[in-house]
Amino acid sequence: MSQAGLPDGTRFVLPDNAARRAELRAVLRELYQRWGYDLVELPSLERYDPEHPRASQSFKLADRDSGVLALRADFTPALAQLVRAAHPAVAGGARRALRYQYAGTIWHAIDPELARTREFTQVGIELIGVSNARADAELIHLARESVRAVGLDPRVEVGNPGFVRAAFEAAGVPPLLHDPVADAIDRKDRSDLARLLEPLDLPAASLAALLAIPDLYGGVDVLDQALASLPWPQTARELERLAGVLAEFEDASDLMLDLSMARRLSYYTGVTFRAYTPDFGQPLLGGGRYDGALLPAAAGFSLGLERLLRAVKQRRSASEPDPLVLALDDAGARALRAAGVRVLRSLEGDAAGARREARELGVPFLLSQGRLEAIDASGGEHDRLTELEALLQGVEGEAP
Amino acid sequence: MSPPEGVHPDGAGAAKLVLALPKGRVMEESLQALRSSGLHLVARDQGRALRHDAGDAVVIEMRNADVPTYVELGVADAGIVGKDVLMEMGSQLAEPVDLGFSACRLSLIRPRGVRGTIERVATKYPRLTAAYLARVGSGAEVVKLTGNVELACLTGLADAVVDVVQTGDTLRDNDLDEVDVLAHSSARFVVNRASLKLRSERLRPLIEALRRLPGAR
Repeated sequence: MSQAGLPDGTRFVLPDNAARRAELRAVLRELYQRWGYDLVELPSLERYDPEHPRASQSFKLADRDSGVLALRADFTPALAQLVRAAHPAVAGGARRALRYQYAGTIWHAIDPELARTREFTQVGIELIGVSNARADAELIHLARESVRAVGLDPRVEVGNPGFVRAAFEAAGVPPLLHDPVADAIDRKDRSDLARLLEPLDLPAASLAALLAIPDLYGGVDVLDQALASLPWPQTARELERLAGVLAEFEDASDLMLDLSMARRLSYYTGVTFRAYTPDFGQPLLGGGRYDGALLPAAAGFSLGLERLLRAVKQRRSASEPDPLVLALDDAGARALRAAGVRVLRSLEGDAAGARREARELGVPFLLSQGRLEAIDASGGEHDRLTELEALLQGVEGEAP
Repeated sequence: MSPPEGVHPDGAGAAKLVLALPKGRVMEESLQALRSSGLHLVARDQGRALRHDAGDAVVIEMRNADVPTYVELGVADAGIVGKDVLMEMGSQLAEPVDLGFSACRLSLIRPRGVRGTIERVATKYPRLTAAYLARVGSGAEVVKLTGNVELACLTGLADAVVDVVQTGDTLRDNDLDEVDVLAHSSARFVVNRASLKLRSERLRPLIEALRRLPGAR
């Protein structure tokens, strides 16, 4: 089928990928369920809000009246609304933990030339109502578990944009420069950073401290390095906060730190984190704490299903279960399916037609009138045939 | 999907770094910088594969403008590319070393002596040019060209161009004036963010060594 008729940035998901996507979603839903995160569904249509952090990326629609709607570009604002409606006390600052999980489609109205897909499936969780080190650690634990659950080896890196903000405040970086300086720090671009900071006439020690931030990444020892290179009490407090989160882990050895993580500085207020897996060049999930942005206490993370699937497929070659048996016999087919065998119903009326059909489809066995036969008569399938016969007998044998 | 370049079955630690390097003149300087930083890299045979095992790293050779894409998506662990390309793409790649070579300015250029409102600007850098024009409050139209943009000025296609200026000799020879500087550029060592963290035992010493080269920072 031609894709010419599809809108830019949308696509079909064919059976092989669709099955794997559903599998990944099920694995994650089950994981979050076991950790006490309740599934919620959220509307795909939202009132358009120009203040929304992704407002410039949202698809807008005109409502019947004069209102403007947007297709959701992110689940977090809708989830915050749900909490305001269902738990006004928590939205007002009461300390009570709410744990939610969500999954569904989001849309980004980005230039399809640069990023071809504009429709994504996102899975995520939010822990709302409590803001402390244990809550942060729970999310980092779950970030790690999410990657493990899909069969990949997790590497989680943790940062704290509050550290960069504190450094700006302590060093006296003018607010107008916060965004470009944070951007240079996040890109670890010391050359740009120096160009931005040198005209400010900061004390030499402050300048040196700020220029050291891009290199503050690595293992847990980075905390000590940071304490040594940044002389301020404000930044020390933010490091303590991070140390408090790390102290919640029995084994923090596979955690990495990056104190130069400084994206969305005005949104994230506490720890942020990303998960990677070896030999896959992009982060699999990302999130953090955003107290005060939408709710008094909230943190969470999300994963893009498309990217996750790419990482999983890179690791394991595809092995789709093909139908094993073509059946003319509905009762026998029912018995085999009950035993877990994939059985396709023949659309031909007789055994000769069904044999031809099986050959065309590449299905190795035919079930007709309670009897199994191998389509390939060479006897190469003998062992599997015996197995299937045992299943057929076994299930029938148990029936009263 | 076939496994991406650089993914080795024998595990992350054993795999060689994959480096994306631009074709042409910058290639030589890049290899020189990497060798001076302790990487043993052999030159490929003339006209041979675009991807070759050069000893301490696998080198993949491509157009300048493609380097950020290869590094961003993790097909290459790191690469070398001009800051002008990174700025035009709005890249968010980690760029821990300014190598200093291939230094140039990105400038607004007009035919000598011409004044007045600019109506049309030709450039290989449409995004940077549009942002610049917006910043200075100009309503000029931007046209994207891929080749010799000075030609656009000389033939009257545009009344100004935005292009890289290295020495200014070409401009003088063609009676063109550099009217304003939009940005400064030089070659940058860029690194995939996942590689920077997961393969830091190889990349960090390399970054440190590259920063110690003359002209780098």
